[in-house]
Amino acid sequence: MTHLSPDQIVDVAEGCAGGAVAAHAAECETCRAKVASFLDAVRLAESDTPPQPSPLFWPQLAARIGAAVRRERVRVPFWRSWGWRLAPIGAVAVLVIAIGIGSRMRTGTPGSDPPDPALPVDAATQSALEPSADIEAADDPSWLLMSDLLAQVSVEEAEAYGALPPPGGTDKALLQLDLAEQMELARILREELGARAPALPQGPGA
Amino acid sequence: MSIRAEAWPAGGIQPDWTLNVVPSTQDESGRNVPLFESDDRRLVEACLAGQVEAFDVIVERHQRAVYQVCFRFVRRHEDAADLTQEVFLRAYRGLRRFRGEATLKTWLYRIGVNVCLNHVAGRQMQDTPLDEAPHLPAAGDDPALSFEKTRESARVRAAVARLPRKQRATLILRVYQDLSHREIALALGTTVGAVKANFFHALGNLKKLLAEDARGTS
Repeated sequence: MTHLSPDQIVDVAEGCAGGAVAAHAAECETCRAKVASFLDAVRLAESDTPPQPSPLFWPQLAARIGAAVRRERVRVPFWRSWGWRLAPIGAVAVLVIAIGIGSRMRTGTPGSDPPDPALPVDAATQSALEPSADIEAADDPSWLLMSDLLAQVSVEEAEAYGALPPPGGTDKALLQLDLAEQMELARILREELGARAPALPQGPGA
Repeated sequence: MSIRAEAWPAGGIQPDWTLNVVPSTQDESGRNVPLFESDDRRLVEACLAGQVEAFDVIVERHQRAVYQVCFRFVRRHEDAADLTQEVFLRAYRGLRRFRGEATLKTWLYRIGVNVCLNHVAGRQMQDTPLDEAPHLPAAGDDPALSFEKTRESARVRAAVARLPRKQRATLILRVYQDLSHREIALALGTTVGAVKANFFHALGNLKKLLAEDARGTS
């Protein structure tokens, strides 16, 4: 005859065995002995009563865990909590990148054909061709920071955390620029518009 | 409580909103329920919404159970406190992964068992010396009986510490934490049948270890 399996013995010992299993346990001396031995071991295990910490320990432990959790919160990437404050910076960055791309498309990428020296070159184009301009931009820490930030943030994340410019955000960002910056931006925009309009009408005094 | 953001640099863009932090959750009807009266599921939702105070309530509610599990594994108060903190920190970090298939308590037990098993893995646990066993006799206890009880407790604890990992975890959760076999299966990521089998073998091995110990000391 097949005796009870370990899980069936547990069921019998805990009083939740089905009819056939319980009936077998009642009749089989071997299985009854196993059940008795099992219950004896349970009593042995239960005899270990661990010491209880002082009642003062629990508030201390809770406070300690609470402090650790709050330190953990500080480790959240700063752009998550600063998302809305990044919006105007992001707007300016997008604007500057767009202008930069446009400017490079106009002046050519490194390695492309140099402009024909026979053609007249205005001062703005000349400055864009100067190697120092790109090197200066690449060395600019704020530019590097912005590049790093934008490289880490996907469009979805930026949208989820409100880092995309809200309506009117670009306008607000522009208002943050000082007079010199505004004039420089106006100059770049004028250049960009001029480059895209092949046959702008020239004024009589031009 | 209402916090108004005021400390913005001059010329900076100031928010035109006010952050309201109310230590409560909302029930199905939208009624505000104080945090300490909220059920675990709502506390988790509140935590995920950024209300860290909700996690304080979770800690207060479950720290004893988690500590007791940790103590059963490491048998040292300081270690158990450290591991309890680690369990709650891991729970906080992984709260988004709590899907509510098991209760929060069972989920915390699961983290606790993993943390404790990792902690004791490869580490030879030393038996708690009797003079360090922190069981103080209650007033009126017979000192001789109390001493004997302390010694017996230490022997059992040492024997439990020598059980294989799964058997040990099963025995601790079943005998000392009173979890059902199903809850233990969820906590250990196994089946109810395996839990019962492990429980059976854990108790059989416990008896053997205690018998060996008795033969060794006699």
